[in-house]
Amino acid sequence: MPRGNIQHRENFLNHIAEQSGRPRSQHVERPAWKQQPQWQVFKHESSDKWVERFKKQCEHIHTDVIETETAGVGETVAETIGRYQAASLMMWEDPRLEEAGLNKHFREQMANLGVETHIWDKSKGRENINIAEQTHVGITYSDITLAESGTVVLFSSADKGRAVSLLPETYIAIIPQSSIVPRMSQATQQIHQRVQNGETIPSCINFISGPSNSADIEMSLVVGVHGPVKATYILINDQ
Amino acid sequence: MKVSFFITCLGDMFYPNAGKASVQLLEKFGCTVDFPTSQTCCGQPAFNSGYHQDAKKAAKQTITAFADSQYVVTPSGSCAAMLHEYPQLLQDEPEWSSDAELLTQKSYELTQFLVEVLGVENTGASFKAKATYHTSCHMIRLLGVTSAPQTLLDNVEGLEMIDLPNKHDCCGFGGTFAVKMPKISKEMVDEKVSCIQETEADILIGADAGCLMNIGGRLTRKNDAIKVMHIAEVLNHSE
Amino acid sequence: MPLRVGEKNFENRIHTGLEDAFMRGAVRSAQERLRTRKQESSEELGDWEAWRDLGEEIRTHTLNHLDYYLEQLSDKVAELGGHVFFAQTAEEANDYVRKVAEEKEAQKIVKSKSMVTEEIGLNDVLEDDGREVVETDLGEYILQIDDHDPPSHIVAPALHKNREQIRDVFRDKKGYENSESTEELTRFAREQLRQEFLEADLGITGCNFAVAESGSISLVTNEGNARLVTALPKTQVTVMSMERIVPTWEELDVLVSLLCRSAVGQKLTSYITGLTGPKGEEDVDGPEEFHLVIVDNGRSEILGTQFQSALHCIRCAACVNVCPVYRHVGGHAYGSIYNGPIGAVLTPLLDGYEDNKDLPYASSLCAACTEACPVKIPLHEHLIAHRQIITEKENLGPLPEKWAMKMFGSGTSSPRLYRLASKQAHRAMRPWTKGSNIPNGPGPLKAWTNIRDLPAPASQRFRDWFANRDREDKS
Ligand code: SF4
Repeated sequence: MPRGNIQHRENFLNHIAEQSGRPRSQHVERPAWKQQPQWQVFKHESSDKWVERFKKQCEHIHTDVIETETAGVGETVAETIGRYQAASLMMWEDPRLEEAGLNKHFREQMANLGVETHIWDKSKGRENINIAEQTHVGITYSDITLAESGTVVLFSSADKGRAVSLLPETYIAIIPQSSIVPRMSQATQQIHQRVQNGETIPSCINFISGPSNSADIEMSLVVGVHGPVKATYILINDQ
Repeated sequence: MKVSFFITCLGDMFYPNAGKASVQLLEKFGCTVDFPTSQTCCGQPAFNSGYHQDAKKAAKQTITAFADSQYVVTPSGSCAAMLHEYPQLLQDEPEWSSDAELLTQKSYELTQFLVEVLGVENTGASFKAKATYHTSCHMIRLLGVTSAPQTLLDNVEGLEMIDLPNKHDCCGFGGTFAVKMPKISKEMVDEKVSCIQETEADILIGADAGCLMNIGGRLTRKNDAIKVMHIAEVLNHSE
Repeated sequence: MPLRVGEKNFENRIHTGLEDAFMRGAVRSAQERLRTRKQESSEELGDWEAWRDLGEEIRTHTLNHLDYYLEQLSDKVAELGGHVFFAQTAEEANDYVRKVAEEKEAQKIVKSKSMVTEEIGLNDVLEDDGREVVETDLGEYILQIDDHDPPSHIVAPALHKNREQIRDVFRDKKGYENSESTEELTRFAREQLRQEFLEADLGITGCNFAVAESGSISLVTNEGNARLVTALPKTQVTVMSMERIVPTWEELDVLVSLLCRSAVGQKLTSYITGLTGPKGEEDVDGPEEFHLVIVDNGRSEILGTQFQSALHCIRCAACVNVCPVYRHVGGHAYGSIYNGPIGAVLTPLLDGYEDNKDLPYASSLCAACTEACPVKIPLHEHLIAHRQIITEKENLGPLPEKWAMKMFGSGTSSPRLYRLASKQAHRAMRPWTKGSNIPNGPGPLKAWTNIRDLPAPASQRFRDWFANRDREDKS
């Protein structure tokens, strides 16, 4: 992509420096912050304890957690789809999903049950969005999972569309236990390191904690607004 | 221990009994109390209304009046907090700022002084009554005295303390606020009064003359029989 | 909708607020829920004060080097192929967005919640050009279809409305036929808006925090509308006020954590979305074109002044939720889209004192706001500083008050005068005294005694008692 335009920058920034009573800042080192309580959260706990905390937090965010062994992922997802009485699903084009058990066999099983399966296909362009809009269930894999807030972190890409976790009414995240870290700090630290290493980070990173909701009417909570109305996390015991 | 007593303008004129009780309490715990007669007002009304030039005059007078004191103790959290504002208020006047700093360091609110300096947690008082306590905003938030009054009151023999609902809400006094924004102030004091009534206490205890004037004045206006007392009077009471 | 909203006269606004029984009930229960939730979620952390210190330190550092971080941010965005426009004024910002809309021939524009676009009045400008602008945050949507009712809370803009009122608005404007249940109302809005998202040509968002190191912007929401606004339309315009920036993703974590806990008592909201440039070359969804508009609109005048920390604000509304004045008068009384304590601090800074000189006095200085603020802005001190400017510099204080304060100054600095005056008080007030109270005071005391009794000055002041006692002791 060609470099974008920057307009009216110099005057704007010079004015800021002037108002601040100093010349333009040439180089600024981010200081070592005096207090860093974020690293203390759950620091001395075992990863089992993080898993427990994660499950507990999901109760507060209206999200079902279903645990399964590595071998049973396909089965568990199939059951969940059945429970939602869904007629269609869409998932990322993601080898990790395939490996986890959402493979050919799973798709056949779905077909036998009359559930249409769509895989995000970048060659189809925006057609994917229309499919996602019409589909009942969206399935993605969690890149990083946060114990404290019951959050899945999703790195989008050409094969991992933003719409899959957004447009279908029901959202299912496949979460290996080994992806669980204490809190957002560990995830943003990883992203920060990627930036520092000069990598390009995904154009969209989502931190998703349960289904969409709103309390805009009389501060009373309604689950399910513009995003998914229901969310289920499939937690894989891979440790 | 030598203590200079700062009665405050409202205390001097409207609540002399609170002053007497304070002096007696201090003496009971071994202090020699003097009263520098050149003291006037801490300057809060002018300071809070934005008239800092006028507030400075009061501040300088107060600094001068207590120049020779070892400790300055006042039965008002709000005025004690005001004394702590002096270094900031007089920061552009080098000939005053160090004296202002000195005054700040030696100034205490009465219950704070009893607990933090004298180490007293039980004043030996007894009082057969049902009471509730109004925390004054400036005492907890500006002076940072959060537990001393409650500790002392809990140890008064026979006194049943009932927690005041919404205790952290301001009573609506706010110095000149009470007369500049009378309509809002009225709603605030009315809400405070109904919270007090909810406790069914016989006595409302406070530690600031301003709050007591405001709440007490509204209670009598509503012909409510709840008695209003300064905390010093309660802590110095015996059956 | 520009910064200032509603009726011009402060007294009238207060009056309307106090008379609105429903609004007051709604605000009271909202405040209670929000502050309990915030209380619980911040206590849970155990070291909330350390978090606040960190938040303050990050904001102070970033604002002290704002030019550096904005330069870094804009370079990164441009590297990724995004366009950055620095707008000194509201007009410049609006003109730029207008041009983008024109170029894209945008018929329909979807927006997620953004205070700064309200502040600069962007919707009006776009609508004047004949474009349809749809607010998609549920609260904003309700206000928009209710003939642009102004927001009354910086996080929950429709806080002043109850479900019956909302049902009626939906019925009258959108042909809604169901009940006033919040589920049904919300469901209806979902259905109405879904189509809008799919059809929109342009998406406009605000920005909770930009991340300088990677040229990212972040959006913090619960409803998911900001995700739709940034995933579906082909062009995205993000309007950010210039101070909403952090150095790296690590600071983003801290400020987002503070924001979610302080605003709604959640550990994280349902969606925190970090967007970096336009969509990747092969990506299917996300905008093909991305524009970032960085708005000053008076903020730089605050830099380097005693009010600089007002720019640390992360718009969490924690100060609003604990404010007893807001509790009684509601958001519209402030006459500004920024209401509550931060509104009383910010509005005069952005809009001048002339029309906003009452706002800094709409506070009892109880400091509940200062205590609640997650980035430790000394809000009540800023209010006092405003008062000082109003009285001593702008000379906008009422004359009688000025005289009273002059007398106060001379009275309190002369112990003799002071003693004399306070000695006279008891006798002077005797004609108005009934029992131990003054129920109906003269002159300036009226404002007090209209509402509450004034205790009569004691016949023996404390200082008289002390002097007598001293004398007795000595004899
Ligand atoms: S001033 Fe502080 S408490 Fe108020 S909205 Fe801003 S950040 Fe939140």
